Amino acid sequence: MDRPASGGVGVMLALAAFIAASAVLGALAQRRVRKGEFLQGYFLGNRALGAWALALTATVQSGGTFMGFPSLVYSYGWIVALWIAGYMVVPLTGFAVVGKRLAQLSRHSGAITVPDLLRERFDSPAAALLASLLIIVFMSSMMVAQFKAGAIVMGLAWPDADPAAVAADDGGEGADGDEGAEKDAGPKRASGLDRRQLVGLVVFSVVVVGYTMFGGFLASVWTDLFQSVMMLVGVVILALLVVPAAGGLEQATRTAVANTSPGFAFGPGHAPATSPDGWAFLPSGLAVSFFVLWVFSGIGSPASIVRVMATESTQVLRRSVFLLACYNCLIYVPLIVICVAGRALIPDLRDTDQIIPRLALGYTGQGAGAALMSGLILAAPFGAVMATVSCYLVVIASGLVKDVYLRFVRPHAPVAEIRRVTYAAMIIVGLVAVALNIRPVQYLQVLVVFSGASGAATFVVPILMAAYWRRGTGPGVVAAMAAGSGTMFLLYFGGWIQRSVWTAVANGSTSPLVNTIAETLGREPLIGIAGGLRPYYLLGLDPILWALPASLAAGVVVSLTTSPPDPARVSRYFDVVTR
Amino acid sequence: MSRPNDDPVLRSARREAAITLLVFAAALVYTVVYCSLYGYDRPVESLTFVLGLPDWVFWGILVPWGVCTVVSCVMSFAVMADHDLEEAAPPSDLPSDEEGRRG
Repeated sequence: MDRPASGGVGVMLALAAFIAASAVLGALAQRRVRKGEFLQGYFLGNRALGAWALALTATVQSGGTFMGFPSLVYSYGWIVALWIAGYMVVPLTGFAVVGKRLAQLSRHSGAITVPDLLRERFDSPAAALLASLLIIVFMSSMMVAQFKAGAIVMGLAWPDADPAAVAADDGGEGADGDEGAEKDAGPKRASGLDRRQLVGLVVFSVVVVGYTMFGGFLASVWTDLFQSVMMLVGVVILALLVVPAAGGLEQATRTAVANTSPGFAFGPGHAPATSPDGWAFLPSGLAVSFFVLWVFSGIGSPASIVRVMATESTQVLRRSVFLLACYNCLIYVPLIVICVAGRALIPDLRDTDQIIPRLALGYTGQGAGAALMSGLILAAPFGAVMATVSCYLVVIASGLVKDVYLRFVRPHAPVAEIRRVTYAAMIIVGLVAVALNIRPVQYLQVLVVFSGASGAATFVVPILMAAYWRRGTGPGVVAAMAAGSGTMFLLYFGGWIQRSVWTAVANGSTSPLVNTIAETLGREPLIGIAGGLRPYYLLGLDPILWALPASLAAGVVVSLTTSPPDPARVSRYFDVVTR
Repeated sequence: MSRPNDDPVLRSARREAAITLLVFAAALVYTVVYCSLYGYDRPVESLTFVLGLPDWVFWGILVPWGVCTVVSCVMSFAVMADHDLEEAAPPSDLPSDEEGRRG
C-alpha cells in the first residue's frame, strides 16, 4: 500500500481555524462570566446549560473516544463493539438515574462543585476534602493522557510531516507482521515525542489552558459543544471515505481477518503478534465488567455530575437524553466501522493510537480541498481532546480553589485573589500535564479506563446516597468513597506487584518472598488491553465490579452504625417545601 | 420507600431511576449473553454478515443499541416528568463580588 500523504499547509490551516474558533468562544464565555457572580459563573455557568450543551458535553467524549477506542478496534477487532456496548444505555443512565435530583440538590444547597454538594448535603467537611483530593488524582490521570493525543494530532498535521516517519520514531507496540517486536510481559512505554509532537504539545497546551483559564466552565462547555458537532461531521465524512476504499464493510472485515486472524471477527478478539500466546482481549467476565464500567462511569464522573448540576431545567434533562442517544448512535457505530476498514487499508500500523489521523490524512485525496477536509476530520479527535482537557481543568481547578484554598487557606479571599489563584492553578496543572507527556504512556485508552472506573467506584454510591437515602451520613459517605477508591488502588497496585514478581521470577529470582507472592497471586491472566497500566483481575473481572459493591457495603454499614443525620437537614433535601 | 411528605421531584426521580436501571439490566443481560453464545470462538467459515456487520454484532449489539435508543426517546418524551427546580441559594460563607471589590 502507498504511504499516506503528509499533513500539508491546508491541514494545519484547518486545525488553526478550529483552534481560533475555540479561542473566540472562550473569549465570549469570559464576557458572560463577568456579568454574574464569579464563582457560580466561572465554575457552573450560572446553571444555564441548555439541552444541546448538556447532551453533547455531559459524558465528555474524549481523546479516548476518537483515538484510544479506535486504537483498540484496530488492534483487537469487532469484539471491541461489545467492549463499548454499555454506551447504548449511557444517555439514559447518565441523566435519568440521578440527574433531576442532583440538579435540585445543587440548587437547594447552593453547591457548585461535587465536594460542595457532599459537604452541604451531609454536613461533612471531611467528605468534601476527600472528594476534592480524589477528583484531582483521578481526573489528572485522564487529562494527562489527553495531552498525548493532542500532541500526536498536531505532530501528524505538521506541513512536512511524513506519518510513516512519525510512526517509525515511535517505539510503541508493533502491529502484526512486525516479527522483530519483543514479547514483553511487563508494561510498555512509547519512546519520547518527536520534535513536531513536542511543538504540537506546547501549542495545544497553551491554547486549551488559555481559553479555559479566561472563560471557565462556559468556555469549556461551548467549545465542547462546537467540537462535538465537528466530531460528528468528521466521523461521518471519514466513514464515507474509508469504507468504500476498503471495498465495502463486508470486504473490509474479510481483508482484516486475512491480515490478522479469525479472532478479528469474533470474541475474545484478535491477539496481536506482540502479545503472549493465547491472549484474550475480552472474555465474558470482562464483557460484563466493561458494560457496567461505562454506565456507572457516566453516572459517577465528576465532570458529568457538574454538568448535570448546571442544567437549566428538567425539560433540558429530558431533551438531553434524546439528543445524546441519537448522537451516540452516530458516533460509536461509525467509529468501529472506520477502524475495521482501517485495518484492511493500513495493516501494519505501529502506534495504533494514530489510526484515525492516519486515515484522515491518507484517504481524503489530493489538493487544497482535500487538505482542508483532512483538517476537518483531524479536528474530530483534536476537538475531543481539547474538550476533555478543558472540562477537567475546570473541575480540578474548582476543587483546588473552592474546596482547598478557600476552605483551608484563605476563607475570606476577595474575588480578585480567587481569580488569580484559579488562573495559577490551571497553569500549574497544564505544566504538569506537559511534563508528564514528554515520555507519554502507550494506549491512551488504558488511562481513560482507569480514570472512568475510579471515578465511578468513588462517587456513584455517595451521590446515590445523597439523592435517595435519608439515613445516609457523612461518615458513611467518607467510607463509601474510601472503600471504592481504595479497592481500585489496591487492585491496580496488585496488578503491578503481580507483573513485577513474575518478571523477577522469569529473570531467575530465588527470593523466597518473591516466589511466595508470585504463587499467591498467580500468573497474570492473558486478558484485557495488552501492555500499559493493568490491574489485578480478581476472578477475571475488572476492578470496578469489586469496587462498587465495596463502596456500597461501606457506605451502608458505616451510615447505619453512626449517628443519624440531623432531621432538619434531611427534611430540607427530601421533604415537600412548605412556603 | 416513599413517604407522604416526599418532595415530588424525589418521587418522580426515584421512579425514573428504577425504570432506567431495569433497562440497563435488560440491555446488559441480552447483549452479553447473546454475544457470548454466538460471537465467541467460531470458525471463520461460519461468519455471515447482516448489512455488512458480522451477524453476532448485528443481532447482539446493533439491534439492542437501536432498541435502547428508542427506549431513551420514549423515556424522554413520555415518561420523565418536568418539575420546577427552584432558584439556588448562594453559598453563605464565601465572598460575593461586591465584597471582593471592597476588599
